[in-house]
Amino acid sequence: MKSISIIIFCFMTALQLNAQKYFTRTGVTQFEASEKAFEPIAATNKSTTVLLNTNTGAIAAQVFMAGFQFKNALMQEHFNENYMESHKYPKATFKGELQDFSNENLKRNSSFELSGTLSVKGVEKEIETTVTVKEENNRIYISGSFYVSPNDFGIKIPSIVREKIAQQIQISIAYELTEKK
Amino acid sequence: MSLLKKNKGAFSIALLAIIAIGLWTSYQYVFAAPAKTNEITATYTGAADEFKYLVTENPASWSQKIVQLKGTVTAINEEGILLNGTIYCQFENKQNLQSISKNQSVVIKGKYVGFDELLMEIKINQCIIIQ
Repeated sequence: MKSISIIIFCFMTALQLNAQKYFTRTGVTQFEASEKAFEPIAATNKSTTVLLNTNTGAIAAQVFMAGFQFKNALMQEHFNENYMESHKYPKATFKGELQDFSNENLKRNSSFELSGTLSVKGVEKEIETTVTVKEENNRIYISGSFYVSPNDFGIKIPSIVREKIAQQIQISIAYELTEKK
Repeated sequence: MSLLKKNKGAFSIALLAIIAIGLWTSYQYVFAAPAKTNEITATYTGAADEFKYLVTENPASWSQKIVQLKGTVTAINEEGILLNGTIYCQFENKQNLQSISKNQSVVIKGKYVGFDELLMEIKINQCIIIQ
């Protein structure tokens, strides 16, 4: 019995050593939903958490609605209370994978397919996009953008402001990951 | 009526002034920038460890609340500090970070945004140093 637990312990330690993880607490996630000729509707979240397993390319991210900063207080209030219902759904999450990701491939190219599930307001949607991944000074930089529609996540936009809010909302990401020790 | 006729000029000026003030106030309301941390009174003031306990009891109720916490700096990075191991305080003005050193006791004020389940940490944004 003792020897089995020792073997398990050694195995776990070996796994731990092998599983290289990179992370950030302060990733930048932005969205842009402006229509031409109307006031800009955009917000930035500078506290996105991202975890990347560099052995498998598995990626997990989490963003809090309350962390989105608007230029306009009233817009921020409407975003949290009417559209996202932040008290009920405080965060959006993403779970996915960088396709064919490995340390060797990272040296050769900087463009990777990112696919996974984005969950907003409790509704899940598959996302596929191409992101730029670079390594510099033992930091991994991930950046890119993709489009989502408020309809996909059951976000109702009142007809009175429908013309002011874009049908397709652009989400931009810029994450700088450091090694997790 | 005669009074109105006599002071027609004064009345119209007063009316214009009222309209102007009304417009200015509504403009201020619609286009105001979000309030800064120092402009809002903290909903909770106390020890970081006690706050951790309160958050685990009911995380949702703290969303977007301004809190003032006293704790020990356990780590520092480019954007913020870790308080008592599991409260990450992100600063808007990174210059404020230069005066902080590890293991120092500090009082910070900031906005609670949520409990991060990936890292098992509490996130506080727009932090300022009180002490």
